[in-house]
Amino acid sequence: MRKLILFFTLLITFSSFSQDQVLETSIKTLKGGTTSLKKIVQQNDLIIVSLWATWCVPCINELDAISDVYEDWQDETNVELVAVSVDDSRTVNRVRPLVNGRDWEFTILLDINNNLKRALNTSTVPLTLIIKNGEIVYRHSGYTPGAEDTLYEELKKHI
Amino acid sequence: MNKKYFLLLMVAFCYCITFSQNTEKILNNTSSFSQLINNFSGGLESNGQWYLNDPKTGDFEEEQNIRANSYLRINGFFLKNFTVGMQVESYAPKPLLNYDRQFDKELSLAQYFINYKTNKIDATAGYFYAQFGSGLILRAWEDTALGLNNSIRGGKVIYTPFEFLEITGLYGSQRRGFDVSDSDIMAFNTELNIDNLLKSDFFDELSIGLSYLNRNQEYISPIDEVNLDMVDIPKNIGLYSARLGVSFKDIYTNIEYVYKGRDTRLNNIIPNIVSFSENKLFDGNAVLFNLGYSAKGFGINYTFRRLENMSFYSQREDGNLINNPTNRATVNYLPALTKQHDYTLANIYLYQAQPGLSVENYESPRVKAGEIGNQIDVFYKIKKGTALGGKYGTKISANFSYWAALNVEVSDPDGVPFFSSDNLTYKSDFLNFKNKLFTDFNIEIKKKWSRKLSSIFTFIDLYYNTDYLVEANGSDINAWIGVAESTYKFGKGKSIRFEAQHLATNDDSRNWVGGTLEFFFNSNFGAYFNDSYNYEDSPVEENRKIHFFNLGGSFSKGATRIGLNYGRQRGGLICVGGVCRPVNKNTGVTLNLNTSF
Repeated sequence: MRKLILFFTLLITFSSFSQDQVLETSIKTLKGGTTSLKKIVQQNDLIIVSLWATWCVPCINELDAISDVYEDWQDETNVELVAVSVDDSRTVNRVRPLVNGRDWEFTILLDINNNLKRALNTSTVPLTLIIKNGEIVYRHSGYTPGAEDTLYEELKKHI
Repeated sequence: MNKKYFLLLMVAFCYCITFSQNTEKILNNTSSFSQLINNFSGGLESNGQWYLNDPKTGDFEEEQNIRANSYLRINGFFLKNFTVGMQVESYAPKPLLNYDRQFDKELSLAQYFINYKTNKIDATAGYFYAQFGSGLILRAWEDTALGLNNSIRGGKVIYTPFEFLEITGLYGSQRRGFDVSDSDIMAFNTELNIDNLLKSDFFDELSIGLSYLNRNQEYISPIDEVNLDMVDIPKNIGLYSARLGVSFKDIYTNIEYVYKGRDTRLNNIIPNIVSFSENKLFDGNAVLFNLGYSAKGFGINYTFRRLENMSFYSQREDGNLINNPTNRATVNYLPALTKQHDYTLANIYLYQAQPGLSVENYESPRVKAGEIGNQIDVFYKIKKGTALGGKYGTKISANFSYWAALNVEVSDPDGVPFFSSDNLTYKSDFLNFKNKLFTDFNIEIKKKWSRKLSSIFTFIDLYYNTDYLVEANGSDINAWIGVAESTYKFGKGKSIRFEAQHLATNDDSRNWVGGTLEFFFNSNFGAYFNDSYNYEDSPVEENRKIHFFNLGGSFSKGATRIGLNYGRQRGGLICVGGVCRPVNKNTGVTLNLNTSF
């Protein structure tokens, strides 16, 4: 038990969030190239990052829901949605046909051995981030129907 | 290197960097301390369970009915290019049921690393993860839901001299519980991006990958008797992989071939006691082929894979999965290439890849040498405004997979009925799909009726070969599963979801019915109830007329997620990403906590 207390003391000792490692983690493009969120935020000062997987039903529901209103969001906020698939090699070949088959207009990237997922310290998807000027300003894990509206409200704060 | 010295050295190293960098600043400016703290990030994951006695399924018979697996990860950044990290793990007072018993410490530093990264060099000392190609030759990763962590302790360097070339070299021992394997792994990988090299736009992607991996492990015969027929069992086993990836307009393809050097085979004559057949050596190989086409509103993907004697562990004895159900210290990644279903009843008859070589002794020996099979996925969106598409469009996805055991011709001159001999050999057909193990045809239609209401309909038809996959002389299972679910949004994040499932089969334990009701109060808080019930009489009494239910809720805010759940878990397989671990029936309260900072 004493060891457990130590464990939680360790936890409380460090209680803020650093982002450098997240932004610099290498992720793959669909064409086999390498990029990072850092490179993407250099091109667009407001992005939504969604960690998702082809086998994750809530993830697909979230991206479907956003896809329906994405054009409006872009008109209003100029946001770009970057959907990073954490599919490993079992299912990664489904990413491209699924994205096209569902008619998503997002930027799609791959995190095949989950380096970004690890850097973000998350064990579940979906995980949604808003990055403004290279800084993570909002983070939410899980998706519930209608949560895209909350995300949009949050997004409008950062235009 | 001795683990303690290695650790000490790393800690000393980190301290030097921290202090040389920050002492001066801290003296000048008190806010530098928060700067220092800002250089840290981390996460905590804790999964606890309180096991309860259950009048339907029996008492909890093991010691310690409250258990938790917890993981604390902390990373720090220094001098622009350095990262240090550690992972503390706690299995207190014991690991959760059905997790690897090698996780036998209440609290311990499990992993640590230091990483140096620039544009061209990415070097890590300590524990690291890695994957070459699709993982057929090497994948070191972590999955806490499976209780799997096969990271490597040693060193890894990724060198990217040009944008079109990436070279990786690594050396170390794979993690095994809180210890490491008694073998060394050395591996190299090269990724060459030819379209980038030639600055050509003709292909969207044209890349070549080459990998080599060597496992160095002393062979110690587990059998005491002197075996005069024993061959030289190599200390070094090499694996070679070559890959090609091409993408042209809307078409793309990948091909991979792996050769695995000759090694002993497991001898399964005596269950639970690991022994090897020491008279013959067997090599292995893998072929993976993928072809896809996709354009706006449509996508199709075909995958073929053949695995022969491809199970590979950093310690030979871990290949005996009766002793190693959680796949500890597996070197390569061989998932089942089937659709991963989300619904509970669709997760009763699950296929697991059959990559390994083993011999089962019944009347005549059955040599299991590997698998062959394929799957195809289709995704299609019926356009908005058409008769079938309606106002929002209709999304359809379908998948078909077919897997078979490799067809082999066995020669065993010294074998007798019920006992194969150590001189057994076999030959396999390259393309023969006749020994059917598993098929799954499934189609899913997603329809949005209005801004508030949407539905998903799923149909699954499957075949499962129990005789081969579970136990000899088992019967075949043909089943179909239908699922309908609808979600209604009330607005402001409030919504309700209802799901009904039915599994129909005349085999095994026959029909099941199931359902879920889920209510979200807002986008942070939700509660659910689900149930599966085996309602029909059958000779299989194990699950008959028992409600396997779950009642729970989850709360998430920012980077924190808490789930609380009370329920009865059906015995079976829990699978994540095509890797499964068996679980026993159990009843209890679980608490999952996940946060990062």
